[in-house]
Amino acid sequence: MGHFRLLLQVAFRNLFTSKINLLIGGIIFFGTLLVVVGGALMDSMDSAMSRSIIGSIAGHIQVYSDDSKDPLALYGSMSGEPDLAALDDFSQLKPFLEKHPNVRTVVPLGTSSAIITSGNTVDLTLSRLRELYKTRDDAGETPALRENIDSVKGHVRQMVELMAAQTAKSEQELGGGANKDPAEVEALARARTDAFWDTFEQDPYGALELLENRIAPQIPDGDMLELRYAGTDLDAFQRTFDRMEIVDGQAVPTGQRGMLLSKLFYEEFLKLKSALRMDHIKQQRELNQKTIATDPELQRWVKENQTQTREIIFQLDPLKTREMVSRLQKLLGTQEAGLEPLLTRFFTLDDDNFDTRYAQFYAELAPLLELYRLRMGDTLTITAFTRTGYMQSANVKVYGTYQFKGLEKSAMAGALSLMDLMSFRDLYGYLTADKKAELAAIQKQSGLTALNREQAEEALFGEDSGVLVAEAASTDIDDRAAFLGAEETLKRDDLLQRVYSQQEIEQGVALSAAVMLKDPEQLEQTMAELRQAAKDAGLKLRVVSWQEAAGIIGQFVLLGKLVLYFAVFIIFVVALVIINNAMMMATLQRVREVGTMRAIGAQRSFVLGMVLVETLVLGLVFGAAGSLVGSGFMAWLHSTGIPAGNEALYFFFSGPRLFPSLSASNLVAAFVIVLGVSAISTLYPAFLATRVSPLQAMQTDE
Amino acid sequence: MRLMNMLSAAALAVALLSAPAALAMEQAEQVKLLATIDDRQRNGGDYKAMVYLEQKEKGKADLVYELVVYRRDADDKLMMLFTKPKAEAGKGYLRLDKNLWNYDPNVGRWERRTERERIAGTDSRRADFDESRLAEEFDPSYEGEAKLGKYTAHVLNLKVKPNVDVAYPVLKLWVDKESGNILKQEEYALSGRKMRTALYPRWKKMFSESKKDNVWVPEEMRIYDEVEKGNSTTILIKTVDLRPLEANLFTKAWLESKSR
Repeated sequence: MGHFRLLLQVAFRNLFTSKINLLIGGIIFFGTLLVVVGGALMDSMDSAMSRSIIGSIAGHIQVYSDDSKDPLALYGSMSGEPDLAALDDFSQLKPFLEKHPNVRTVVPLGTSSAIITSGNTVDLTLSRLRELYKTRDDAGETPALRENIDSVKGHVRQMVELMAAQTAKSEQELGGGANKDPAEVEALARARTDAFWDTFEQDPYGALELLENRIAPQIPDGDMLELRYAGTDLDAFQRTFDRMEIVDGQAVPTGQRGMLLSKLFYEEFLKLKSALRMDHIKQQRELNQKTIATDPELQRWVKENQTQTREIIFQLDPLKTREMVSRLQKLLGTQEAGLEPLLTRFFTLDDDNFDTRYAQFYAELAPLLELYRLRMGDTLTITAFTRTGYMQSANVKVYGTYQFKGLEKSAMAGALSLMDLMSFRDLYGYLTADKKAELAAIQKQSGLTALNREQAEEALFGEDSGVLVAEAASTDIDDRAAFLGAEETLKRDDLLQRVYSQQEIEQGVALSAAVMLKDPEQLEQTMAELRQAAKDAGLKLRVVSWQEAAGIIGQFVLLGKLVLYFAVFIIFVVALVIINNAMMMATLQRVREVGTMRAIGAQRSFVLGMVLVETLVLGLVFGAAGSLVGSGFMAWLHSTGIPAGNEALYFFFSGPRLFPSLSASNLVAAFVIVLGVSAISTLYPAFLATRVSPLQAMQTDE
Repeated sequence: MRLMNMLSAAALAVALLSAPAALAMEQAEQVKLLATIDDRQRNGGDYKAMVYLEQKEKGKADLVYELVVYRRDADDKLMMLFTKPKAEAGKGYLRLDKNLWNYDPNVGRWERRTERERIAGTDSRRADFDESRLAEEFDPSYEGEAKLGKYTAHVLNLKVKPNVDVAYPVLKLWVDKESGNILKQEEYALSGRKMRTALYPRWKKMFSESKKDNVWVPEEMRIYDEVEKGNSTTILIKTVDLRPLEANLFTKAWLESKSR
């Protein structure tokens, strides 16, 4: 004991006397600081990312069919939509999972993707007009309806004029309409005549067909968008996943069909392109400090806004066009009368006028425009390939937009929209036994034998093939059956109004079940128990953690963690080498001292102890200082937060700012690691010190 | 001897000059051959057919359909209306001028599609169901004669005329020398890549009151996808009805009225 006290005395005496000790102390101080701050940041990011994913859609555990070909990937994978086998009846699975004492809630899920197409602007306006005439046929004309019809008609007529003007302009620029189809030219001329519009009401459908078939195709085609969606019990989803928040509009009413579009998707794909480009420029200028003068991307957006004005011009009816022209004249202080040159001038942006123009755009121009192609409450037609290979379309009403807090900017999470389970099942097209039998019967009735490509020509044209031409006679065909199906699907408007019971929602196909736990700490154990229970019950289920279920995003979290761990590891290796070298130097400097001690009777073990205790004391003192400063720094960060400067950080921080917190485990870990590293790096120098013999020490020159 | 020489030289010259004529077909004749193929399949009046359509794809379940094809050849109109399976009933295509409209009563929406539209997700195209317009759409060149199984066929290369929109711009046709029916048709992209091969092993010949002549119908069409090997489509024209159709059948309003 007295021995140890002596060693401590020596260690404390040496603490500040040697410069080398100060250097080592400094390294230990910064090392501890780094470990405390780095570890706490890493833990905070890890828990933020986990919270984002668990609270968005994954839950703690996902359960899906073991017959699936691919692993579950809720946010999609590189190779597209994973091939999952369906859970035939969610209402059977739910009570099974809820039996486990640690399971809090179970939510049905299914992700898929589909195409949404829309015709060009003229197509869309014409189909609106067609709908209005159909309403008139069904319910009779009212003054409001008449006004509406006349206004849309006025808009269409203006579009025709604009198309004629653009054709004339491009002919002028390209020199003669060499490639113009005479039938198209004739149709456009006819649609501009007063006679055409005066007689419109006599045969509105005939007139519409001319416009739809001869005029609308003359401008480039509309858009085709890919839409990823998750079908779910929307009420249960909203109750369970706390990261989900509605941004625009409202939640889908309980039990009804409907959809919530992802906010990111809504902005990026459905917003007026000119407005979107204004937003992008603003964001790049503010977030990334780019300027229009120096950045080619910003310049490109400005140029596109100047030249691509058609989207704005075509959507304005005559009244709004006049209003827009007068507002632009006032804003720009000019008498120019054409909307196109006015817009081009307005969108001539530089770093000086951008902020003003941006504000003017939203204050003055936007109120006259449809900023989004789809308004809340509109119906979206979604077309998907079903599991059976047939195409299926469904009309789904869009009630609002939503986002997952913390994943707002993630392109992968932002690609996912939410849909009710009934519409999801329609689009998924589960192959029931009835359907299977129906298809088999149709195929059998055809009497056709399959022929592969290699054998086809020999079988069909060879010596043994039948006669080429047979006599036949015209047969009466009863095609009433062709319309029976159509009559059955008439309920499409009723479907959107119908309220489904909880039982109806749960009874049927889902692709996976998200499970929220009461105690997330027992994740692994609960997973193992659920697996065992499924096995015992003879259910073929796969039980995976949220990290696995999140697919590429889950791997991204894992990768992020690995990168952080690796960075900390490198810091320690460097610290180890530096401390080791410093201790070597310190030991070599003290050869004389050690030799003298050995000469007056100090044992080798005493020398070894001396060097080790000295380093440990160094580690304790400077490590404590490092921890203290680190804790102070973390406390400061916790109160101010770290801003996410770019989109990648946004994901790691799960939001615009990270408010990291420090836990006791971070401090303990840092202390243990620092002491461990200093002890290990001292072992070799200490061993060297014990090898010093008194004779050798005395022979050394100063 | 001199005379004999001259005679034989003349005979040789005649033989040499006439040889290409015997092998090749005059351009005008080729166009006429195409026009005949078109004309034989055209009915002067209306046309309605009950059709079975089947798609086979590797590793996937077969797609099967029944549909009714309506044609008014006089003004180039076409409508296809699906009847089976039940879930597909009422869906259809309508060709008006150069537009191919797709209609789905489930959503009550019309969508314009292109010539390259895979009809109901199969390897068939609009032209497979429509009136034959080879002479109108393509310029032919003659390649020669070839055997195809037990048949001897004229082989023609067809290239699309300028400003005509078709699914495949280059075709190679095997036309039965004896009956004048198409046996085989290879379809190529502009790059020369082979896209589809269609085989026509059975034709039906029936008398039409409106045409006052026979109408030829390709009863069976086997279409093989040459890009996605292993995929194929079969079209069977089961029965044909040549009676006149309702006057306003080929309008959007008519089809919509059927699903009201």
